[in-house]
Amino acid sequence: MKGIFEHFEFLNPYYLILLGIVPVLAVWIYINRYNQNAKMLYSNVADFGGFKTIKNKILPLLSLAVLLAISASIIGLARPRSVSVTAKTKKTKGIDIMLAIDVSASMLARDLKPNRLEALKKTAINFIKRRPNDRFGVVLYAGEAFTQVPITSDHRIVMQAVRKINFNQLFNTLDQGTAIGMGLATAINRLKDSKAKSKVVILMTDGVNNTGEIDPLTALELAKQFGIKVYTIGIGTNGYAPTPVALDSRGGFIYRNAKVEIDEKLLQKIADETGGKYFRATDNYELNKIYKSIDKLEKTEIKETKYYNYKELYRPWVLASVLLMFIVGLLRYTWLKSFI
Amino acid sequence: MTTKEILKKVRKIEIKTKRLSDHIFGGEYHSSFKGRGMTFSEVRPYAYGDDVRNIDWNVTARYRTPFVKVFEEERELTMLLAVDISRSEWFGTKTDLKKNMITEIVATLAFSAIQNNDKVGLVLFSNEIELFIPPAKGRTHVLRIIRELVDFHPKKNGTDISNTLKFVYNILKKKAIVFLISDFMDKDYDQTLKIVGRKHDLTGIKVFDPMEKDMPDLGLVLLEDLETGKKKYVDTSNKQIRRVHNATFLKRDDYFKKSFQQAGAGVIRISTQESYIKKLLQYFKQRS
Repeated sequence: MKGIFEHFEFLNPYYLILLGIVPVLAVWIYINRYNQNAKMLYSNVADFGGFKTIKNKILPLLSLAVLLAISASIIGLARPRSVSVTAKTKKTKGIDIMLAIDVSASMLARDLKPNRLEALKKTAINFIKRRPNDRFGVVLYAGEAFTQVPITSDHRIVMQAVRKINFNQLFNTLDQGTAIGMGLATAINRLKDSKAKSKVVILMTDGVNNTGEIDPLTALELAKQFGIKVYTIGIGTNGYAPTPVALDSRGGFIYRNAKVEIDEKLLQKIADETGGKYFRATDNYELNKIYKSIDKLEKTEIKETKYYNYKELYRPWVLASVLLMFIVGLLRYTWLKSFI
Repeated sequence: MTTKEILKKVRKIEIKTKRLSDHIFGGEYHSSFKGRGMTFSEVRPYAYGDDVRNIDWNVTARYRTPFVKVFEEERELTMLLAVDISRSEWFGTKTDLKKNMITEIVATLAFSAIQNNDKVGLVLFSNEIELFIPPAKGRTHVLRIIRELVDFHPKKNGTDISNTLKFVYNILKKKAIVFLISDFMDKDYDQTLKIVGRKHDLTGIKVFDPMEKDMPDLGLVLLEDLETGKKKYVDTSNKQIRRVHNATFLKRDDYFKKSFQQAGAGVIRISTQESYIKKLLQYFKQRS
């Protein structure tokens, strides 16, 4: 990541306090405006009339120029400079996150809007977007599990994969059921060779383990062994939710209110024993919050090297000051010269 | 100025101007301010030693004894010196300040008057009457006049000629020789001048500095007005400003000359770089 922030600063800002002298000086010069030069006592000044020449008009400007010169040199003394920061973020090895997503039929339940699966997809994509330094993988499971995307840093592909999770397609290919153990184990399998500092599985389910060759507890043991943290998310409202229970003649689902059953004890246990955390998402908002808290819990170290490019800007100020003083001196001793 | 310095200066002025009045002015002054000479007073019987030219033959014939006319010298003239001591006199770019020149002129005139047995009085004025010394005779009196001139500190700075003329008119009951010495940096005095001029033998002596007439190119100069104290930067390089300055001077000078001439008074103009002796002499000669 490369960013250029330009801003303006003073190296010695305390010198700017000296600018406070300038108004005092201005008042002093005004009070003593007639005492600075040698004067000639004359018998009747009114004889010259009230006519004012350019010189009369320029003369007060000299004092102004002196004040400006002083101000400019004070500003120059404070050393103004512009800083451009080039920040280079070193891609530290982030954490590897496997998303184990339940795609069983019950995920179509409409307690989350529009349904559990769609809500999950949306929040998962946001989650991925928010963690640019981590690698992601996606495992889908129902009665059996398969790896949709292996661990990769190519977030585009991961997000695309999540977006493309299509229930109907999966419904025809995967065995039915909810094999939490299988899903977890598949995810673990993908993570076990990873060299990332931290390995995380986010396991999402909305039911109870009811099928599969690997028991969730076995998978838990595996997770512990490989040092993989498992965050578990139980999706589903408390009580009843419209859930697909049967197919009608055209292949569509028939929804009935069914009691939401989540094996919270198991999920809690998995989370606790691997050092993760169990969350319960009862609606979209809650789900979103969960992802945010996981985001916070899993911090990625980002090393950032900043390059400061200073551009000293005192030169024009000092130059202006010197130039003004020079002009003032020049005018005073040539054009505005007094011979008394 | 300490008393010693003042006395020294007075002495110096005395020597310088007394010599002048003795040797050069004496006669000129005398003849230019003539009294009526001798006036007849009475007749008395001839006594031995009387000038036979004074015998009044008419009376002698009537009484058949010789009588002579007795003449009385006409009363001495009074000279009043009205001197401007305003701050503007403290200016002078040539040999001396206007003020010092005025002092010398006054001293010369005063000694001349004493020489002639006239009474001398002094009025010092700015924009008010600062000092009045009544006319009197004697060397010490003149010395006092000079001392006052040298060491008088006016209370006011301005110049008011009209006011001074009114004062002079009020204090002088008889015809007198009045010298008004100033730089005449004032206006609207022609009416009072006429009134005074009708009664007295009036002369205006204007003392000025050449720089007051023609300002040289001095660049941008800070000027402080001696009378008002106002300060101002004046671009003396500017021709227009110099022209205005010169025109103002000439206008005032013209007014001075015209007013005095209309009042039947004499005019002497002396620049600080000139010799005032010559100018005075010239004036007296021209009068007689």
